[in-house]
Amino acid sequence: MSLPKPVMRGLLAKRLRFHLPIAFTLAIVAALGFKYTVTEPRKRAYADFYKQYDAVKEFETMRDAGIFESVRPSGE
Amino acid sequence: MAHPSQLGFQDAASPMMEELLHFHDHALMIIFLISTLVLYIIVAMVTTKLTNKFILDSQEIEIIWTILPAIILILIALPSLRILYLMDEINDPHLTIKAMGHQWYWSYEYTDYEDLMFDSYMIPTQDLAPGQFRLLETDHRMVIPAESPIRVLVSAEDVLHSWAVPSLGVKMDAVPGRLNQTAFITSRPGVFYGQCSEICGANHSFMPIVIEAVPLKHFENWSSLMLQDS
Repeated sequence: MSLPKPVMRGLLAKRLRFHLPIAFTLAIVAALGFKYTVTEPRKRAYADFYKQYDAVKEFETMRDAGIFESVRPSGE
Repeated sequence: MAHPSQLGFQDAASPMMEELLHFHDHALMIIFLISTLVLYIIVAMVTTKLTNKFILDSQEIEIIWTILPAIILILIALPSLRILYLMDEINDPHLTIKAMGHQWYWSYEYTDYEDLMFDSYMIPTQDLAPGQFRLLETDHRMVIPAESPIRVLVSAEDVLHSWAVPSLGVKMDAVPGRLNQTAFITSRPGVFYGQCSEICGANHSFMPIVIEAVPLKHFENWSSLMLQDS
């Protein structure tokens, strides 16, 4: 006949107990997401670029394209 | 050089700039972590009418929100100091060049072996050849041997200027009456652009810096030619 007494205390604490773990988890997910979608690919990109980099060949390509002013293209 | 609507750094052309790039990624990751946490908490607190008027203190949470930020700061400071000390390592340069700031051009002096000096004025927009970059090209480029440590002594003849090349991770103030030193190595040959980075008058935006990094043999040919011409 009588209703159960509603919860009247600790409501904010309950909300915090629910939301704070989600907040921390989301924050860590955001950081890890950035790390594995930006940071690590960028490190790998630089490492891969220089692994096969042939400075002489690249210089000759740029030289023939006329990019340099101190060095004329090889034909000239 | 930068491309239109670019947000991030230019591609690194020196080992130091690569280090700075990776450190920036690390610091930005921490910024995203903190910002996500704070934004979520703000939204959670702003979307409720629940309050607790009777909180007086809480030793536990105060300890957590002191220790955690301290740890985060240490995680930022350690890589930062590592790069700072890396920049100051003894580097035994192969070549020393003096870059002097004037209103409104740079002059370069290669005085290690002979006296080679020249001015570097911006090419006006109406005189650009097709394919050249507006406000970035100069009539004489600072040519250096690629993949060799270079020391640049920066100063000014009149007012403050600043010699900066973003892709090499280099910026050094040009102060009249003072010699500032910076050093770098280019990881690859190419052409690298920069602009004056200290307000110096009406044409501050129109005194760019262009570095041309070429193999040593070509650098030697160029410097002989320049000496003959001068």
